[in-house]
Amino acid sequence: MTDVHTPPSAEAAEDEGEATGPFAGDDSGVAGGGGTGGTAGPPQAGAGWLRWMWRQLTSMRTALILLFLLALGSVPGSVLPQQGADPAAVTAYYTEHPWLAPVMNDLGLFNVFAAPWFAAIYLLLFASLIGCVVPRTFKLVGSARTPPPRAPRNLARLPHSASYPSVLAPDAAVDAAAAVLSGARFRLRRPADGDKGHWLSAEKGYLREVGNLVFHLSLLGVLVSIALGGLFGYKADKLMVEGSQFSDTTSALDEFHPGRLVTGSDLAPFSLTLNKFTATYLTSGQSIGQPESFIANVTYAATPGGRQRTDNIEVNHPLSVDSVKVYLIGHGYAPVFKVANAKGQVSYEEATPFIPANTSSLLSDGVVKAPEDSLGFEGVFVPTAVMTSNGTLESLFPAADNPEVSLIGYSGNLGMNDGVPQSVYQLDTTGMTKVSGSPHLMSQGQTWTLPGGRGSITYVGTKQWVSLAITYDPGQVPALVCALLAIAGLLLSFFVRRRRVFVRAVPAASGTGSVVTVGGLTRSDASGGFEDEFASLSAELAGLDGPDGSDGPLPNNQSETGA
Amino acid sequence: MAGPTLFTVKRRTVITTATVVVVLLAGALAVTLLTSGKGDASDAMVEYQAGHRPLAPDFTATSVTGKPITFASYRGKTVVLNFWGSWCPPCRDEAPTLEVLAQQYGPKGVDFLGDDVNDTPQNAVAFEQSVGITYPSVNDPGYAIVQDFSQVAPVSDTPTTVVIDRTGHIAGMVLGSVTYAQMTKLLNFAAVTQ
Repeated sequence: MTDVHTPPSAEAAEDEGEATGPFAGDDSGVAGGGGTGGTAGPPQAGAGWLRWMWRQLTSMRTALILLFLLALGSVPGSVLPQQGADPAAVTAYYTEHPWLAPVMNDLGLFNVFAAPWFAAIYLLLFASLIGCVVPRTFKLVGSARTPPPRAPRNLARLPHSASYPSVLAPDAAVDAAAAVLSGARFRLRRPADGDKGHWLSAEKGYLREVGNLVFHLSLLGVLVSIALGGLFGYKADKLMVEGSQFSDTTSALDEFHPGRLVTGSDLAPFSLTLNKFTATYLTSGQSIGQPESFIANVTYAATPGGRQRTDNIEVNHPLSVDSVKVYLIGHGYAPVFKVANAKGQVSYEEATPFIPANTSSLLSDGVVKAPEDSLGFEGVFVPTAVMTSNGTLESLFPAADNPEVSLIGYSGNLGMNDGVPQSVYQLDTTGMTKVSGSPHLMSQGQTWTLPGGRGSITYVGTKQWVSLAITYDPGQVPALVCALLAIAGLLLSFFVRRRRVFVRAVPAASGTGSVVTVGGLTRSDASGGFEDEFASLSAELAGLDGPDGSDGPLPNNQSETGA
Repeated sequence: MAGPTLFTVKRRTVITTATVVVVLLAGALAVTLLTSGKGDASDAMVEYQAGHRPLAPDFTATSVTGKPITFASYRGKTVVLNFWGSWCPPCRDEAPTLEVLAQQYGPKGVDFLGDDVNDTPQNAVAFEQSVGITYPSVNDPGYAIVQDFSQVAPVSDTPTTVVIDRTGHIAGMVLGSVTYAQMTKLLNFAAVTQ
């Protein structure tokens, strides 16, 4: 497809200057000026070397190889664990492959999309595309400015030709043909002053090259969009308990993965309150307990002190606020606990998020830390509790129909005053002593008075929490638009052909009227449609001079189709 | 024709080459940014010279003991604003240091104020009583005040301690747990407002 099929009849065009080889002089490579660069050997001189290398880089072949390498390079990014997406999996990989992992890390395989070699492919492709697109844009502008070549002298030698007699004088016959071709949106060229003969050149199909350029520019656009997302986008996670508020700022986020040029003040300054979370589950049938719907009802404001709005966030219905999307990605239970000392002074009262250990029954684990009373608890939350015959606690259903918690109490130093950050979901029990009476099972509203005057813990009530993903990707919409444009451009360049039609009229031998010859030529007629178009055009031209000249065209087609 | 053609070709070559050079430079910059890790900002100190200090945002909130507090009422005094939470070990670690500084600098016209984030008033009060913190703290469960400050200064983690000068401008901040030396240096620095 990339090569022009030079018609065997090209030499038929006689010494009419520009018309020699009707498409000769046009560049041939579909993928840019260097399309044939790969075939010539490297020259000797230094500047020549540079030119040769440049031709190689901007050639279609190199661009395709780079595109293939880009796809190939992305494979480890999806097969191997990646530092940005799942750091825990990378750590696990180090444990499993202690000698291989450091080597792979040096090769950037755990952070493929930020690896220098990946950037090298990306940038070479970028340079290759630009080196291809820029010269071609000039070429397109040039060819749009240049009128079609003069009509060759002997049109009968063109791949498609027809001739017919006309009652009109040669001038009038060419004028009539010009009107038809102009109506068919051909660009026309008529003889200039001083040119001999009655003829007409017409050309159309510039959209082919436009489509091709749009395709290449859109590919560049996709690359730029991805870069935009990587530099200016961010992803963050936030866990919220019902009734709590959250302002979008770095300190408030549980996880924050900013793009390279993102700083804390770039975050959209919205705030959000989780009013209520509702989860419904199937209550009968085979899939009993399967979730039916999750709805997080939120009130939010796009700016501090701005107008408050209320909306529901559902699984496939994120909240859009100030070009940021907030997705609902998880949920669970947060039992509310109150811890007091022996005198009844409260040192801890908070809804404490527990993490589901079983995703279908929502049996969840969590810890309570009350450092002021030197108490810690490891707990299991059971939404619909039943005691089995062998004495274990199980959850029958994910909804909190009969919530119970089972707590193991520990007393001693929690290590929270050492200044070392620790997980709020884990309790380090080294150096602590287990409280007797553990594990202790509690229903809502019950209080466990700990032995030895250590105080008490009350299971006050149950709230739910949701996990939200906050994402901002400024490259998403541009990437989609560019991808659609690329497809549109590709289709244009597939279905539009550049084609030329020439008309010549000479006085008839009889003295009145004329003989009109029509010639047609197309470049790379892969879909073979030009033959039909030419036939209908020449029939229309032949029918111009009224009912008398209804002999129709005399086709003398040289069967060039399918070339 | 030779002259103009030559000229055109040259101009095109120049434009193409220039475009490629610009793109390669931009790309090299992008690669540098993509591959270089961000600097370690823990326990770092930020100072703003007088005249270049960002204006601290005003706020009104309720203290952990239930009293209304308006930040504007502190204008005219140097303020140490500490973002903390009773759940945060580094915050618990630095609290006694801040209390010592509050006792020492209080008579010199420096007020201390806590901003208790992601916390319940019960937990906060229990901690303050156990350590003996005497300066007030506002309750900021949803980080609203932090968000306001993060728009003008890099308040990006808990704890962060911001020093605001007499004119209501941010003189500097400590990211992470404070040390006594860092704070005395910042307080002296904040006293220079001209």
